[in-house]
Amino acid sequence: MEMALVILFYIILGTLIGCFFSLIPGLHIYNVAGMIIVFWLGYQGVIPGYAMPAFFMSLIVAFSIINTVPSMFLGAPDESAVFVMLPGQKYMMDGRGFEAAALTGVGGLTGITVLVLMTPFLYNVLPSVNKLIGGMRSYWIMALVITYMLMSEWPKGTGMGKKTVLGKIWNAWQNLAAGIFTFILSAILGFIVLNRTFVPKEVAFQNIMPAFVGLFAVSSIISCLISKQDIPKQHIGKSIDLDPKLMGLGTFSGVLGGGIAAFFPGVTGGIGGLLAGHATAQRDDRLFVISQGVSKSVYYIGAFMLFFVLAFGAHGTGPLRRGGMAMILTPIVQPMSGQDYVIIVATVLIGGALSFFFLLWSSRWIIWLISKIDYRIINWVSLVLILAIVIGFTGMWGLFLMAVATFIGLIPIMFGCRRSNCMSILLVPICLSMAGVGDTIVKFMGLS
Amino acid sequence: MKGLTHFMSGVALSTFLQAPVSMCWEERSFILVLGGLFGIMPDTLDFKVGQFFSKVDIEVECDPNEPDPQKMAEQIGMAMEKAYETGKLVKCQLYPMRLGVDLWRQYVIKFDGETNEVVVIINEIVTTSQKPYAGTAPKENRIGKYRVKCKMLETHGRPSVVDIMSGPQYGFKRAGDRVEVEFLPWHRTWSHSYVLGFILALPVWLIASLVTSWSIGWLYGLVAFLGFAIHITEDLTGHMGGSLLWPFLKERTNGLCLFKASNPHANFSIDYASLCIIVWNINRLGPPHRVFHLPAPFYFFATLIIPLGIYFSIAKVFGKKGKKQKVGVISAEDALAADAAAKNEEMRYELDDIAVSD
Repeated sequence: MEMALVILFYIILGTLIGCFFSLIPGLHIYNVAGMIIVFWLGYQGVIPGYAMPAFFMSLIVAFSIINTVPSMFLGAPDESAVFVMLPGQKYMMDGRGFEAAALTGVGGLTGITVLVLMTPFLYNVLPSVNKLIGGMRSYWIMALVITYMLMSEWPKGTGMGKKTVLGKIWNAWQNLAAGIFTFILSAILGFIVLNRTFVPKEVAFQNIMPAFVGLFAVSSIISCLISKQDIPKQHIGKSIDLDPKLMGLGTFSGVLGGGIAAFFPGVTGGIGGLLAGHATAQRDDRLFVISQGVSKSVYYIGAFMLFFVLAFGAHGTGPLRRGGMAMILTPIVQPMSGQDYVIIVATVLIGGALSFFFLLWSSRWIIWLISKIDYRIINWVSLVLILAIVIGFTGMWGLFLMAVATFIGLIPIMFGCRRSNCMSILLVPICLSMAGVGDTIVKFMGLS
Repeated sequence: MKGLTHFMSGVALSTFLQAPVSMCWEERSFILVLGGLFGIMPDTLDFKVGQFFSKVDIEVECDPNEPDPQKMAEQIGMAMEKAYETGKLVKCQLYPMRLGVDLWRQYVIKFDGETNEVVVIINEIVTTSQKPYAGTAPKENRIGKYRVKCKMLETHGRPSVVDIMSGPQYGFKRAGDRVEVEFLPWHRTWSHSYVLGFILALPVWLIASLVTSWSIGWLYGLVAFLGFAIHITEDLTGHMGGSLLWPFLKERTNGLCLFKASNPHANFSIDYASLCIIVWNINRLGPPHRVFHLPAPFYFFATLIIPLGIYFSIAKVFGKKGKKQKVGVISAEDALAADAAAKNEEMRYELDDIAVSD
């Protein structure tokens, strides 16, 4: 009983800490988790070992739901939220930012419910699928994802007024060329970041953080500052425009996208959402916002939940490590029994419910804030805060890396191509390494 | 079919071959990716390259700020008449009306076979998600009509809604005593040919043989051809077929009209079926010892038939009833009905006036 109460305490504490840090633009929960582990290694009695999984899971549950707030209101998305930006900001421009945040939150809660209901599938079906197309053999699945990402971007230029074939091609191909260019630059950056440590060795696990912050968060903030759009007065409604059919479609699409991202290494929620969107042919903005809420929770929480599904270890491969949290925690936390999974499920449900209410409260608070302070000033403050975090964690080299990544991240914004091309920073190096050609490329680039 | 469907079908078909699956399992080969790549290739050739080489005879003026539907209808109609008079193919290009980063003016083009008219209806302003802003349709000068002097033959079957990204191209050509309207004359022609698939597979075979060995290089070519071929075959299920044996037979055949290429249920079913087939084939042909041992009928019944049965049951219960129409078409039809009602009203007043004056 006492143990249960201690775990409950750490679930609530983890959720509150997660909610607070998730509001800070550009700060990823994996960075916070890394810092907590560094702190924990110094003071091991602070969190009892048996409460560690629940504590860290509650962090990630809070992040998956609350991260919508800085993504939508402050223009600083993480790598899985860049897709929710456009429809979310459209809602903001209609004065319905609160509704969009609530829709995403409802999607997040639905995603959590589906994850819990999927327990039999996680235990009985997924381990076999993992043995066939998961693990090191998923390199060709990742190659399929990369190929489809590149091939499925279509020309956006209209060619109107262009008389020559070359003129038409150039007009239409600008966004495609920019997308391919972004993809290549991000992949090169990925090889560099994953093979050279730019940051002090004590925070080596934060190596990729400045690159991610630059690609997704800082580039978004800069585009917000350049666009000089005024945010209209936001309406805080007492209800949301949602029907069961839309909810069902959004959940279906989100579970599909988040599931793909949670299961396959290197594939994030955004890319999973892109694939699911194409598979289910979704167009409605509300459906898109809900599905992204579902997708984010299934991706972040689902990836860490898989770590506790012992059936994966039954094949002698050890726990399934998907997502940053499982990677960070592996040295200090190992799932031991089925009870761990039960605790994790309870954590997800409690943390999810608490985070949803915090989301509603924090959205109101941010709306109040942007009604009192110029949106641009908030963006500037966000930018300064992000710079401080990057310099604080990773030093001047981290700042340099962030600057380079920011320029790459701005290309899709300026040329109207897909921002998911930036995800080649992880996809390409991981895919090629799994295929056994990573070392050759690293040597060719002079990085070994 | 949609790009993802062609892509997944290409991969699924390739997994029926023992050697590529084994190469993927044992040698970390990317050969199966070729199935997906060539699965999406025909549309890539069309939309990323081919369409820009299609010489346009008439560019319809699509002014986003002051759209003139009457002038647009006249330009299209005159292009049809020109095709009838000259007996040559006349291509007519329309463009989207972009108003901002995320704003477009939607319009609809209708070839009305009954009245022999080209009708252009200007609709609401829409977002890139094609969601209309209510009340933004023009209050005046919304409909343009042009009665074509020759008889028209419309094979596309439905009005075209133009809003985001790109506009359609129509090809008009004389067919007997009529002018046939061909939708996207550059699409599904040379690019959707089994012969071209074979030709494109040859360099794949050659390069793969040089990089790997002649004994397995042909497999790469075969996988590429299968991906290309399944795309063309799947497209035959829709309304627009393809020039299957180009350059020997250049005529574009009609499709089987089983469902629209954009049908979400058909696309999802094929995506899901492809996934089930991939897992089945990898299990059957990949590992030295199968991961699961299930008879094929049971596996496909449990993983494919039952889930799709549930999916279609839910879709039937919650899906839209009756004939589905795009929002833009509904809006345009409403505008036409309102226009017709206004004209009837006017006619009635005029008849009343005549009656009174008599």
